[in-house]
Amino acid sequence: MKSRRVAIVGVGYSRVGRHTGLSERHHAAQAAIAALDDAGLTAADIDGSTTWGGDAIDFAYMLGMNPLRWHLNVGVSPAFVTPAIHAAMAVATGQSDTCIAFRIMMQQPSSATLASGEAMLGATSSEDTQFLYPFGNFSPTQWAGLMMNRYLYDSDATEEHFAEFASIQREHATRNENALQRTPLSAAEYLAAPYISKPLRLLDCDYPCDSGSAVIFTTEERARDLRQPAVLVDAMALSAVHDMNFEVMADMSHTAPVHCAEQLWSRTDLRPSDVDTAQLYDGFSVITFQWLEALGLCEPGAAGPFIAEGHTRLGGSLPVNTDGGACNVGRRHGANFCIEATRQLRGQCGDRQVPGAEVAVWANAVGPFAGAMLLTST
Amino acid sequence: MTDHPSPPAVVPSPLTAFFWEGAAAGELRIQRCQACGTFIHLPRPVCRRCHSFDLRGEVVSGRATLYAHTVTMKAFHPFFVSRLPYVVATVELAEQAGLMLMTNVVDVAEADLHTGMDLVVTFEALSPELTIPVFTAASSIGASR
Repeated sequence: MKSRRVAIVGVGYSRVGRHTGLSERHHAAQAAIAALDDAGLTAADIDGSTTWGGDAIDFAYMLGMNPLRWHLNVGVSPAFVTPAIHAAMAVATGQSDTCIAFRIMMQQPSSATLASGEAMLGATSSEDTQFLYPFGNFSPTQWAGLMMNRYLYDSDATEEHFAEFASIQREHATRNENALQRTPLSAAEYLAAPYISKPLRLLDCDYPCDSGSAVIFTTEERARDLRQPAVLVDAMALSAVHDMNFEVMADMSHTAPVHCAEQLWSRTDLRPSDVDTAQLYDGFSVITFQWLEALGLCEPGAAGPFIAEGHTRLGGSLPVNTDGGACNVGRRHGANFCIEATRQLRGQCGDRQVPGAEVAVWANAVGPFAGAMLLTST
Repeated sequence: MTDHPSPPAVVPSPLTAFFWEGAAAGELRIQRCQACGTFIHLPRPVCRRCHSFDLRGEVVSGRATLYAHTVTMKAFHPFFVSRLPYVVATVELAEQAGLMLMTNVVDVAEADLHTGMDLVVTFEALSPELTIPVFTAASSIGASR
C-alpha cells in the first residue's frame, strides 16, 4: 500500500466558553463549519470523520458529510492528537481523501459540586478505582500533584519556575483575542493562588470550558489547490508505556512523552534544533515541562531554568504555547496546540506570530500515554 | 443517627477480595505470580511477565519508601471534606523494584515528609466495613515494635 503525504487544510473552533448551554452537536457543528470555511471546502468534500467526544458518524451525517468512506470514534487516549493521527493515517493510506477530526469537550462539574456529593465520579469503585477512591484519590489534579512533587525532586525545576511559566503563558494569551483568560498574571500572583493538590496550584490547571475543535486533513496534492497555505504532516507518533493508573507509575518524571519523542524523531530527517515553535500540552503545567525535555528541546531536567531564562517567550529562542496554552484559551484537550501550530506555519498569528516559522511540533498527554505531530510549512 | 458521609464503597471482585480481606485482618497482601514470583499491582488475571494465570495474594513486609506525595487541599468526595488536608502518596514496596502502591501517609508532619523516606504499613478503619492500608514513618514505629 502506497503512503500519501498528508496536509492540514482547515481548522476551526466552536464558540468556546464557560457553561455555554450548547450541546456537543452544537459545538461540533460550529467547529466543523469554521474549519470548512477556513479550508474553502464544502461538506460534500469530507469523506472521513473521527472524534473524541460525541459520535463521528452522527456529527458527519448532521452536517451532510455523507456517505463516509472511513470513520472512527476514539476513546480514552492522548487527547486530540489521537483523532488527529488517525485522520492523517486514513488519508495517508487512501481510506479517506479528506477527513475531519473533532475534539468536543464539555465542562465538567466543579470541585465544590463534587465535594458536596451532588455529582459523584462513581457510585461504587470498579476493579481499579477501589485502589484509588478509598484513599481519597478521585481527581486528575492528584496524580498531577504526585507527578509535580516527584518532578521537582528529580529535576532542576522550582516552584518559582512554574510561576514564570504561568506568567509567560498569560502574556501570550494577552495577544490572543480568543483566549478566555487575558489579564496579565505576575509570578507573585501565581504563587499566591491556592494549592489544589500541593505542590499543584490552581493556576497549574487548564481552564475548564465547553469547546469544540475541528481540523481537516487531506492529501498534499489536493491541499495545493485549497484556500490556505498547506501545512504538511512530517512525522507523528502515538505511544503508551503503562495502563491508565498514573498513580502507580514507577517513574513519574520520564513518562510516555520520552518514548513518543524517540519514535517521532526516528521518523523524520528534522532534528529538535530545527523546531521554530512548540505547542505542548498544559492540562497541568508539569506536562509542558516534561515535553520540553522529552523532545530534546532543552537538556534533561532543565525545563525549569530553560523557561526562566526566557527561551519559551515570544521573541525567545523557542516560543512555546503561543496562543496562551489551555490554561488560558480554555480546555480544548490538545486541539488548540494543533490549530495554533498550523496558524503559526501559515503566518496568520498577528501579534504573536513567530517570524519565519517553518517547523512546529505539537504534543499531547503525559504519563501512561502520549502523542505528537511534527508539522512543516513546505 | 449521624449524617456523616460514608466512605466510598468498595465492592471487591474475585480478583481483588484478597486485598480487602487482608486489610481487615491487619495484613498488607499483594498479588503474586505463583509461577515466576513477580508481584503485580493493581491485580490482574494474568502475569504480565510469564502469562501464568496462577496468581495469589501474599502477605508482604509492609516496608516501603516514599516515591511521591501530594497534599490534597480540595476534596472531591463528601467523606474526605473533614479530613483535609491529607496526604496521597505513591510508595515503592520493599519486595520488588518498581512495585508501587498508592496510599496515604499518616501521622507525619508535612515538613517531615521527604522523598525516599522509610515507611511502614499501618491500618485505618474508615468505617466498620472498610479498613485501608496506609503508611507512616518507619522511625516512629520501629521503637515500639
